[in-house]
Amino acid sequence: MVGAMMEEILQALARALSFGTPLLLASLGVLVNERAGVVNLGVEGMMALGALAAFGVASETEALGLAVCLAMGAGALAALLHGFVTLTLRANTYVSGLALAMLGLGVSGLLGKKYEGAILFEPAPELPFTVAAGVLAVVLWGFLHATRPGLVLRSVGENPAAADVLGVNVLAVRYLAVAFGGAMAGLAGAFLSLAYRPAWTDGMTAGLGWIAVALVIFVGWSPLRAVFGSVFFGLLYYLQFRLQDQSRVPTELFAAMPYLLVIGVLALAGLRRTQGAAPAALGRPYHRGER
Amino acid sequence: MNRHVSLLVLLALCLASPAQAQDPKLKACFIYVGPVGDIGWSYAHDEARKLTEKALPWLETKYVEAVPEGQALPVIDRLVTKEGCKVVLTTSFGFMDQTLEAAKKYPQVVFAHASGFKRAPNMATYMADFYQLYYLNGLMAGALTKTGKVGYVAAFPIPELKRHISAFALGVRAVNPKATVNVKWINAWVSPVKAREAAEALMAEGNDLLAFTEDTATVVQVAGRKKVPSFAHYSPMHRFAPDFVVSGQLVHWEKIYIDFLGKVRDGTYAPGKLQDVDYWWLLREGAVELGGQPGLPLNPKYVEALKKAQMTVGDKQVSVHDRVLELLKDMSSSKPTFDPFTGPLQDRHGVTRVPAGKIMTPQELNQMQWVAPGVVGPVADEPK
Repeated sequence: MVGAMMEEILQALARALSFGTPLLLASLGVLVNERAGVVNLGVEGMMALGALAAFGVASETEALGLAVCLAMGAGALAALLHGFVTLTLRANTYVSGLALAMLGLGVSGLLGKKYEGAILFEPAPELPFTVAAGVLAVVLWGFLHATRPGLVLRSVGENPAAADVLGVNVLAVRYLAVAFGGAMAGLAGAFLSLAYRPAWTDGMTAGLGWIAVALVIFVGWSPLRAVFGSVFFGLLYYLQFRLQDQSRVPTELFAAMPYLLVIGVLALAGLRRTQGAAPAALGRPYHRGER
Repeated sequence: MNRHVSLLVLLALCLASPAQAQDPKLKACFIYVGPVGDIGWSYAHDEARKLTEKALPWLETKYVEAVPEGQALPVIDRLVTKEGCKVVLTTSFGFMDQTLEAAKKYPQVVFAHASGFKRAPNMATYMADFYQLYYLNGLMAGALTKTGKVGYVAAFPIPELKRHISAFALGVRAVNPKATVNVKWINAWVSPVKAREAAEALMAEGNDLLAFTEDTATVVQVAGRKKVPSFAHYSPMHRFAPDFVVSGQLVHWEKIYIDFLGKVRDGTYAPGKLQDVDYWWLLREGAVELGGQPGLPLNPKYVEALKKAQMTVGDKQVSVHDRVLELLKDMSSSKPTFDPFTGPLQDRHGVTRVPAGKIMTPQELNQMQWVAPGVVGPVADEPK
């Protein structure tokens, strides 16, 4: 009995780690670019582009390493488009992000027609991605809190004018952060199409990009808490199926939890009349000489 | 003189040949709800379209893919008025009402709608159904399960799925009366992420065999990785996990298309004569096939186990292997004597749904809301 219980818990944990991996990868990217003050809602689109790039390369060349690299490149490139529109042209960052999400999904669907329904016969293992995501979370935490470049990144997100006065190239830092965010979304996509479900299907990202965006708010922009947050959301996703017909609440609620929790976190912050843990200059474009 | 005659003959031939060439091709146009590459429903229709065009030299086809369910009418308008389509085949349940509207609008055009139940003088319906195959798959699952628990990943709780899940459960229980078919709903036709987690949950619960009805190959892939046998659905998925796909269901829409378009061509199915034309084609007509790939009804890797497994039929013991092949032969013959939905049948709450001696009609199967004993899991719109 105890053995069966343990097995059940271990299985649930394994599922949570597996489903949590793309969430953690993508949300670490979101976290970094938001810590630099840039909002990019286009995660879902960048993830889809990454997934397609990875699958395309892997099925043509069987070079999994190359597939992962190009997926990150595709994500970063899409993110730089968002960067150019919002940082240089200073268009509305939310509109541009939403557009990127839709564009990425649409373009990947169109370009991926050739591979629709195809599967990868030599899939990548999941574990390296999961380990990499965990290690990266710790490294990022160290980077943000214990290194000078990390401090620079945070200062750009908190008070870009002050950073500028101190000689920081705000635009360059933000561009780098945005590209990093895109690359991580692309990496999450690569995990999906190479390892998690080694195949290509239009729309296979299934809203994971949106959960990643929500996750970052939920964990208060902390890389370490993001680890637990992604495992927690992964567990909820799995339980919606595991507990179907066995729980008193409809299990669809579990799938909606990430969003409900985010609304809860935001509402709490609002009640305290604070921004919560959000970077002070989040979503605000910076141009020298303007306030 | 002779020369004149031969010139005249030549002239006559010249005049005659264009008349022959003018004999127009029949233009049939297909509307798909999904992309043709979806490896599921729309893919199967498009493969059938290609085979039909190859089989009928006088046929010309065109298709429009990924048409949203609310957008059928404008697409039909364009196909009829601009492309000159004489036959329009709409291949998704959701196109039903708009196809009917179009049929009224263009009374001289022949329409055919797949999987629906509304007809008109110039609109027929057609369906290639899998319930017999699900029963046979169920027999195999009942023989192969060691835990007595078989998992089923299901898209939506609609009559089509209830029919398939029930036929599957009837098969499972015919071999193993205590076994259960555990259903997880993912409420999506195409969602690999949900299908994977649902399959993982089923395996965690001790289901040692998986079947499914949704439009990706996820379940076959996920089960294969964990060395769990599964049943393919809709398209040839055997190659995705050659050691673990036991059998499955395959469709041959071209059987229906070739028959239907031939009769349209020769005037049997001219506009005005279609009010009662309803294709409900099964094994007998060759519209469906047992197996995970064409020509392979049973994976040879499982034949021995299926031969060892015994089941009671009447008062005789037969091997499940022989029973599957016997029923397959029977249901493929011109006069089948066996039907999985033959009474007496009760639903899972013990209410009699099919009295003894009765066989469910296609209409009843199309509107089926109850599920068979052995099915475990929530079922929406289930009569209590």
